Amino acid sequence: MSDPPGRDQNRPYHLHRRDFLKWSAVAGGSALVVGGLGAGLPLLRGPRLPWDIEEPGVPAPGPVRLTGGEWIPAACWHNCGGQRCLLAAYVVDGQVLAVKSDDTQPDTPHAPQMRACARGRAQEGQVFGPDRLRHPMKRRNWQPGGGRRELRGMDEWERISWDEALDLTAAELERILGEHGNESILELGSTLRHLFTGLGGAVINWGSTSWGTWLDTGPMIGLGDGLSRTSHNDRLDLQNCELIVLWGGNPAWSAQGNTMYYYLQARRAGAKFIFIDPYYNDSAMTLADEWVPVRPGTDHALALGMAYTLLDEDDPQHNPLIDWDFLNRCTVGFDREHMPAGAHPDDNVRDYVLGRRDGVPKTPEWAARTCGVSAPRIRRLARRIARTRRTALLTAWAPARTHDSDSWPQMFLTLGCMMGHLGQTGRMTGVSCWERTADGGPFLIGPGGSGVPPLRGAPRRTTARINNSELWDAVLEGEYTAREGDRRSIDLRAIVHDGASALNQVSGLLKGIEAHRRVEFVLTLNFVYNTNARYSDVVLPVTTQWERHSYFKGNRSHLTWARQVVEPQYEARDDSWIAAELGRRLGLDPAEMLPLSPEQEEFNRLAGAWVVGPQGQGRERLVTITEEDIREMGVQGQPQKGRITLAEFREKGIYVVPRRPGDGLGHIAFEAFRKDPRGHPLSTPSGRFELHCQTIADHVRSVGFSRIDPIPVYRPPAEGYEETFDDFERGIKGPFPLQLMTLHYRRRTHSVFDNVAWLREAFPQEFIMNTLDAEARNLATGDIVLIRSRHGAVLRPVFVTERIMPGVVALGEGAWADVDPGTGLDRAGATNVLNGARPTGQGHQGWNTCVVEVTPYRGPIRLQADWRQPPRMPQGAV
Amino acid sequence: MAAPLGFRMDASACIGCRSCVIACKSKNGLPPGTHFRRIIEYGGGTWIPDPEDPTLLAPSGIFAYCLSLSCLHCEEPACVPACPTQAIQQRPDGIVLIDSGRCTGCRYCEWACPYGALAFDSSTGRMIKCDLCVDLVDGGEEPWCVTSCVTRALEVGPIQELRARHGQLDALAPLPSGEQTLPRLVITPHPHGQPAGQGTGRSSNPERDLR
Ligand code: SF4
Repeated sequence: MSDPPGRDQNRPYHLHRRDFLKWSAVAGGSALVVGGLGAGLPLLRGPRLPWDIEEPGVPAPGPVRLTGGEWIPAACWHNCGGQRCLLAAYVVDGQVLAVKSDDTQPDTPHAPQMRACARGRAQEGQVFGPDRLRHPMKRRNWQPGGGRRELRGMDEWERISWDEALDLTAAELERILGEHGNESILELGSTLRHLFTGLGGAVINWGSTSWGTWLDTGPMIGLGDGLSRTSHNDRLDLQNCELIVLWGGNPAWSAQGNTMYYYLQARRAGAKFIFIDPYYNDSAMTLADEWVPVRPGTDHALALGMAYTLLDEDDPQHNPLIDWDFLNRCTVGFDREHMPAGAHPDDNVRDYVLGRRDGVPKTPEWAARTCGVSAPRIRRLARRIARTRRTALLTAWAPARTHDSDSWPQMFLTLGCMMGHLGQTGRMTGVSCWERTADGGPFLIGPGGSGVPPLRGAPRRTTARINNSELWDAVLEGEYTAREGDRRSIDLRAIVHDGASALNQVSGLLKGIEAHRRVEFVLTLNFVYNTNARYSDVVLPVTTQWERHSYFKGNRSHLTWARQVVEPQYEARDDSWIAAELGRRLGLDPAEMLPLSPEQEEFNRLAGAWVVGPQGQGRERLVTITEEDIREMGVQGQPQKGRITLAEFREKGIYVVPRRPGDGLGHIAFEAFRKDPRGHPLSTPSGRFELHCQTIADHVRSVGFSRIDPIPVYRPPAEGYEETFDDFERGIKGPFPLQLMTLHYRRRTHSVFDNVAWLREAFPQEFIMNTLDAEARNLATGDIVLIRSRHGAVLRPVFVTERIMPGVVALGEGAWADVDPGTGLDRAGATNVLNGARPTGQGHQGWNTCVVEVTPYRGPIRLQADWRQPPRMPQGAV
Repeated sequence: MAAPLGFRMDASACIGCRSCVIACKSKNGLPPGTHFRRIIEYGGGTWIPDPEDPTLLAPSGIFAYCLSLSCLHCEEPACVPACPTQAIQQRPDGIVLIDSGRCTGCRYCEWACPYGALAFDSSTGRMIKCDLCVDLVDGGEEPWCVTSCVTRALEVGPIQELRARHGQLDALAPLPSGEQTLPRLVITPHPHGQPAGQGTGRSSNPERDLR
């Protein structure tokens, strides 16, 4: 098999497990004979990998023979929302033959193996994918100053040497810094942050993405954001619930690994599940006893209808639905008798719900019209949740990833407080999603710090930060909102994608492409040819985590230590090396940028690794380290005693804190606070849950996009259900009659993994639509549809199902945009083509509010099945 | 004689995540387009005017469930007699294996199997299928699909023991009735599971559906 011209002859890209196995079959000389049928079954066949399909003559598929190598704990390092699982790669002479997951301990319900999802198991598909960026590249028609900027995304590439790439990148950054200053460079990742800090800073982006409005509102009202601070109990206490309400979440897709297993354990222990979601998703399929479909962006209205029901029907003697004791002791703002200092007594939740504040009672009938749940059902739902004593009222961030939803977390908290579902066993209110799904509470284990001292930066020459929803306008129009009443001009000349995936993953993608074609220089550091790379001028190939020294990551009760699996592929280098080399050329001291060896950083993390003591008391060191270990690692340090030996941790790559009921390691959120709110006040100004929260109202106002009330007032969101109408009052639909939800999709973790053939096959990027909406448009599953919003249009095959509400459609986020140059239509189904950049509230991304229309597509563009599409390769340079 | 092995599949716990599918592909080095293990999604129901508020639509009987399936190493495998060259044989422990040396790639077995368990390998012109990770099973380990399941919905073991513990159910819609081949499969039904042959829903992945 000869390499196509231009391929690196020293590291032919397919010298991976297939060729290795062919070689080993010859060298081994004997076929693997299996089973009782004996020699009739020669099963040793070189395995075939997804990316080999177009090469003829490859050996047949067959099981891999694993001898002569070792299993190395391998990283699964993405922002996946999963539990952070253990992978292991079987490596023989530097080649990976197989990938498996955790089998280092017996699998029990209380101490389960940390089993990987489909994505983790397909990790080899991206580390050894055919579209790995192999060497530095320069866009053919780029010149210092920009060259033919309009060709970005369509141009050919030229392979260049590392020296040339670093020299010209440094020279162009120096020129732009000299001519236009630090405020002309937009840094949209973080792996070169040290470099830019040393150079006096660059413009950066800000704004909540995943969290929606939980990021700021959650902590300010006293509950937490759901990641850095959780408000749900631990996973064993979930098993004490009688009822678990999952309001707007699908952990089976967005929090993979063991999390659904934890919920299943709760179900087996007797918990019932209610799902409130526009989609009868796979988590609901598995767990739901009741499904309440609700329109996107209207959860707040539904919750108000439920709150009204409770106020309307509550009778402390004969029908107690409201926990007045909890409200009175633990919250402020619910009624005029319990207002925080300085608040107007009219601004209380009770009067707002009952309509005394604005003349509109938030009756179930009022709510039904907006949220799509009938009034009787709203009443039943409110009663059932309020009357079931041990209830977990849980949500994910999705309902808060809507425009103008800054008060939604507060409304959710209000419901929980009215019902008193906080601070006791089996009772909790808050976010259970992403990495923290189904297991709240402080961590029981963690790594030590790296010991890298903070870099002494040059004096900062810019402090500009641009909200994600204004990024591309800032480039194109030269203006951004610094804060309330403070619009500033800005002159951006360069975009640096040092990690992240901003072009693909921020709303307003088509505008983003335009912005990329406006500036003088676009630099990308990445390991695959993703959307950032495609629209760049210079692309620098970086290593994956499998090619780096070590990686530590875990979750509440486990810690993984992954090691380097293979040598850097092709010419890939670590981001830190690139930063140091650019720094050297720009007059910084590389030694200061790389102060510690990777071995020393690894040692520091191991030496500082801790695990909670018995019965939750104190912390112990996790790892025993001997003089000999230190000598072998070649590092500075002191021997220490810990719970496991370095050798054991190194071999297994994981330590799991064993759990059992009554072990003292459980967690009941807000338990002490509920018992004694004065003795254990929250960190809010009032020390209690703030159902009236001036802090969040002031914060949103100061950001400068919109204003909210200090109490949870429903505001129809931009591009929400109301905007599917031309005339909402008279029920006349408008040009965009459908609501689009942007889902976390199983194929990817955000945009990562979109290129992996196995996953493209398992999870096609299909457009989900209700049967009635499809019939109205004469559509059947598999038809190619044109999906248009106010901001752009995409093509996708439609998948017709009853499982989504009529009027609601859905598409998974993160597909790598593939914009047809002729028509401007995106063929990949990149949701940010449809989602417009609309800054609202605290400057979060409002991805679940977007109105669209869908029509059959009859144009000339043909779509191949995702997995049949050839990998996206940089034209010209490979 | 070795006790015949079979699968138990807990349809009430399967979330359709395809960890087992990818683990199988990884173990067997299978390219896209070739499966030894698949997820079948089945569901149905409808939307009706809400009886309590005719201005709204309400879901009526909407349900869904998933089945994870590979070769079921049947007691009366349809593929074995269908093969004109006797290339498919069953070991005493029930594992059905293809002797690739005898296989001529006529694909009769593919047509005979009601579960779509056999795959044609275009690179060699032979048939391939799940071998129950026989290399692992012979060494006392479990197949990768089983050890990959994040909700612990798959189990492998002597089929008599599995049936004793989990019952006799060997089919749910849209699978054909087990009478044809006596699959060594025990299904723990999903609460909305529908009997084979009497399902009211449809498979949502028709291109890979069972015949
Ligand atoms: S859940 Fe996350 S960490 Fe676990 S295997 Fe999947 S992608 Fe990797």
